[in-house]
Amino acid sequence: MTPIQYLLIGAIGFSAALYFARLRSRKRDRLVVLFVSVLACACVLMPDWTTRAAQIVGVGRGADLTLYVSIIALGLMNLVLLSRIREIRLQLTELARRHAIDQAGPPQRQMR
Amino acid sequence: MNQDSAVFIVVPAFNEAASIGATLNQLSTTGHQIVVVDDGSTDATPSILSRFTQIHRLRHPINLGQGAALQTGMTYALEQGAGYIVHFDADGQHRAADIERLLEPLFADEADAVLGSRFLVAEHRQRVPPMRRCVLQAARVVNYLLSGLWLTDAHNGLRALARRAAEAVHFQENGYGHATEILIQLARAKLRVVERPACILYTDYARAKGQSTFNAVHILLDLCLGRLLR
Repeated sequence: MTPIQYLLIGAIGFSAALYFARLRSRKRDRLVVLFVSVLACACVLMPDWTTRAAQIVGVGRGADLTLYVSIIALGLMNLVLLSRIREIRLQLTELARRHAIDQAGPPQRQMR
Repeated sequence: MNQDSAVFIVVPAFNEAASIGATLNQLSTTGHQIVVVDDGSTDATPSILSRFTQIHRLRHPINLGQGAALQTGMTYALEQGAGYIVHFDADGQHRAADIERLLEPLFADEADAVLGSRFLVAEHRQRVPPMRRCVLQAARVVNYLLSGLWLTDAHNGLRALARRAAEAVHFQENGYGHATEILIQLARAKLRVVERPACILYTDYARAKGQSTFNAVHILLDLCLGRLLR
């Protein structure tokens, strides 16, 4: 193994470990993270695999294929995060609304 | 007036200390119930509101946006038994005198929702600055494409809804996108929508507070994203 491979494997392992230790998410999400981490390690350890895959789809270099896939993955992740934020914002709005209505100050009756 | 036909005027207010007093004085002459939703103002708005003892006062703990404030006011008014709900901006751009004209088709059961339009009367139309007119024309087209309703105006904050229309509407766009969202929801619920003349007073204050022309792009992005991520 070359030094860069040690570095990359270390970084992937660290991110995955951090994710599993700190973020409690749904089972499906955890499986996806596990799969992607294993796939990333495989690509680092066996660079020939990405080159072969690249040639099959007609890209040429493995590094180029990895770049394209990463860009698409990044875009998708952005959308997933945006929809999460939207969901949380809706919940926050409902909460603030309920609070405002429960604390509402109705008109005071005029003294006659 | 019995409870079923009670009119509730919902006024969303965010940092409107300069105009909210005059707006409420104007509205109090209508004799309707007034609901002010303070959208987390950080200026003197809350203390000014506390001087008006005859209004319903609600306050968001944080600033959420005009759409969210309107929805809070509507939900509250419906819970209070409102028969009709009017949306009225706090910045002094609407005239309380137009409210009755908007309510007429609802009282006569000729419509479920009445939207104010600044383009139905020549005198009102002439008040609209040229740049604003261009943006509003584009917004009309966008509104038509998204809702199927071809209207003469867009993003006019003065509206009147019968109870069934208010119940069919639930804003998810917290910002200004609600003005298009309401059309989509009214059209989807197959409710009768008509327009009535409503003057917009382009005071310096209202223009400074109101939406900038560039904001239209943001609103469009919000709407597209909202539809995509639903």
